[in-house]
Amino acid sequence: MDNQPLTVIVEYPVLDEKARKVLQWVHQLDIQFVGKIDDKLLKIGLDEIYYFETVERKVFIYTKEEVFQLQGSITDVERMMMDSDLVRVSRTCIINTDHLQEIRQLKNSRLEATMDNNEKIIVSRKYLREIKNVFRRGTL
Amino acid sequence: MKKIIKDTLLLASLMILVVFGVSILWAGVTQEIALVCKLFGLAFIVVVANHGLDIISLLPMRQSYILKYALVTCLVIAYGFVVGWFYPSNWWMAAIYTALVFIPAYFLDLVSVRRDVSYINRKIQERLGKLKHSETRGFYE
Repeated sequence: MDNQPLTVIVEYPVLDEKARKVLQWVHQLDIQFVGKIDDKLLKIGLDEIYYFETVERKVFIYTKEEVFQLQGSITDVERMMMDSDLVRVSRTCIINTDHLQEIRQLKNSRLEATMDNNEKIIVSRKYLREIKNVFRRGTL
Repeated sequence: MKKIIKDTLLLASLMILVVFGVSILWAGVTQEIALVCKLFGLAFIVVVANHGLDIISLLPMRQSYILKYALVTCLVIAYGFVVGWFYPSNWWMAAIYTALVFIPAYFLDLVSVRRDVSYINRKIQERLGKLKHSETRGFYE
């Protein structure tokens, strides 16, 4: 049993909205990205990823404590956005809302997201509706 | 309610366009029709500028509104001079007209942002609550 991969069987009488959300959640468990750190390539599961950031045409993956360079383009990440809890929060940043702890409006009317590792990310107001939609569609 | 107001405004715009469009066939371009066409033209220019600024600007909300106000006022003044609404003596009225649109828009936007932020935070708290509940029931064991 120890060497067997994780297997999830979802049974549903009708493919309704709830079943669809369960399938989406299960599918999300399987999403992985390849990141590079110290010349080593590693597979990183979506659940470990806090956010993606584009800096000078390079994409970096931020996990709880480490930073990897994505082996791929931001388009690969964007392609996964529909099937996951990833959402763009600014022109350069896509976060995993599973690790989002809070959004705050600062005194200068900027918006700031706090991740559950206490990292702060600036949120652009124009993407607020998209973040809201992730939570709207994601409630099981 | 927001959707009803939005749909009403869209329908009203469509009705104005249709009614005035038909009137052009009967009466030609009267002063009223010309005014409506000019207003639609100005609205189009302002919307394009607004979207353009949203794409290139990373400013916080307040600064973004101030920049947009300045830009739109300049556009309204320039457009007003071209179509003959303003003269060198009354160009400053453009700033007042623009402010009358921008001030309520800013406050409506502010309320909408606050509502969205509190919705998201409420959903996060609900999710954390569900997670704790699942863990105490051994859902992940």
